[in-house]
Amino acid sequence: MLDLLAQTGLNAVYAASYISLIAVGLVLIFGVMGVVNFAHGELYMAGAYAVVLLYTDFQMPFFLAIAVGMIFVGCLGLAMERALFRPLRDNPLGGLVASIGFLMILQSLAVMGFGVRMEHIPPVTQHVIEFSDRVRLPLARLFVIIAAVVLLSALWIFLKKTRFGWALRAAAQDPEAAALQGISINQTARIAMFIGAGLAGIAGALTAPLVSVNPHMGHSVIVTAFIVIIVGGVGSLEGAIVASVAYAFVHTFVTTFWDGVIADIVGLSLMLLVLIVKPTGLFGSADRA
Amino acid sequence: MLLEMKGASVNYGKVSAVRDISISVPEGGIVTIIGGNGAGKTTTLRAMSGMVPLAGGEIHFNGARVDGLSSDKVVAKGIAHVPEGRRIFPDMTVEENLRTGAFLRRDKPAVENDLEGVFTRFPRLKERRRQMAKTMSGGEQQMLAIGRALMSAPKLLLMDEPSMGLAPVIVEEIAVIIEEINAQGLSVVLVEQNAELALELADHAYVLETGNMALEGPANELHDNDHVRAAYLGV
Repeated sequence: MLDLLAQTGLNAVYAASYISLIAVGLVLIFGVMGVVNFAHGELYMAGAYAVVLLYTDFQMPFFLAIAVGMIFVGCLGLAMERALFRPLRDNPLGGLVASIGFLMILQSLAVMGFGVRMEHIPPVTQHVIEFSDRVRLPLARLFVIIAAVVLLSALWIFLKKTRFGWALRAAAQDPEAAALQGISINQTARIAMFIGAGLAGIAGALTAPLVSVNPHMGHSVIVTAFIVIIVGGVGSLEGAIVASVAYAFVHTFVTTFWDGVIADIVGLSLMLLVLIVKPTGLFGSADRA
Repeated sequence: MLLEMKGASVNYGKVSAVRDISISVPEGGIVTIIGGNGAGKTTTLRAMSGMVPLAGGEIHFNGARVDGLSSDKVVAKGIAHVPEGRRIFPDMTVEENLRTGAFLRRDKPAVENDLEGVFTRFPRLKERRRQMAKTMSGGEQQMLAIGRALMSAPKLLLMDEPSMGLAPVIVEEIAVIIEEINAQGLSVVLVEQNAELALELADHAYVLETGNMALEGPANELHDNDHVRAAYLGV
């Protein structure tokens, strides 16, 4: 029993890691730009396909493929900012609608380029860390956990300690007042979009060998990410991380001890409960909701 | 003239907000714009800092044309704007708010020096430097907004309703601060509904009524003007 609990705990930590990478990017983009990026799941998908192309097809070393994939998806984010979100900045629903359109374009491109079949990615490593007979952590999952901890810590330091990090936080709290301090709103939007998209990209790239890669894989993660950011408090990065961990633990444990459908129901009920008790989410403040 | 606004007009969509406004701000002076609600005072100030585009007219600052620049570019020219309602960054600390005001400056020692200067001028901000800005009182937030603007080392300070919502004793404190920073060489454009205060502080005054320039003149003359006394001073 203790083994099972420990194993499920490890699985939950893994799930929390990639969910938080996706949710934090989504929150960052919403906070700084005020855009609900529905195409965020497809950025995650693009990261996974970057690995299919570079690692499986072109035999590039795995970590190089991931780095290139992350930068590629980050640049995709930059292109979205320039072509979609900037021209629609004054239109409150414009960015959201445009991102839904872009989601479909990315899905269609993936279907055209790779087909609807599931991609088989040769495992990067078969190595498994064995804590005991029944408590095991595949190394590939550990990579995801390490990446999440390192990247989210780096983002934290960037936001709290650097000049551009402050600019991002100022722009998220009051874009007009930020511009009055000499902060370029176009620049903060670019930075937020590159980081947010890049985080989704690396989540997709790192998990590609561990999940089924297909053109519609973004759908389930975006639903999870939305639940997480609503629970955490829309606009709060701390909230997104805490809620990712909480959601992953609840979902993984319920899946293990009952089943996956009940876990989805419990996850959504949890979101409703938080909304009833604290409508702004765990870490949200009323003035930004 | 440090700043010269010539024949400026601003429209919001199809609605004209201000028409043919000309304002001159001499180096080292305090100029005030007074008028009632919706007269176009805030719009005029927002036009000066590039927050709204001009539909007509020109703005020259320090010898260069600044209309058409976005507000983050106008700051770089030396115009700092303390916006209506203070607009401090609520979830940043006092010190982070102040340092954000110096976003464009790369002269680190001078920035540290100016930060100490702001802390000397506003000891309350120094006491609360690690506190979240949203936890402070209205008067403290106004001081933070002024301090943040000073951190950009501006030549001209635009202030929109600094007395709004503050207790009389705090208003008096703010008035003293405006006089002090002006005495140190900073030019000021002050927008106020509190005309008594504004005319007392300013050298020159402009009166806006429904988007038009109604009157202008030395502040002490306008203070004795019958129309101004009846409409804005309540005597």
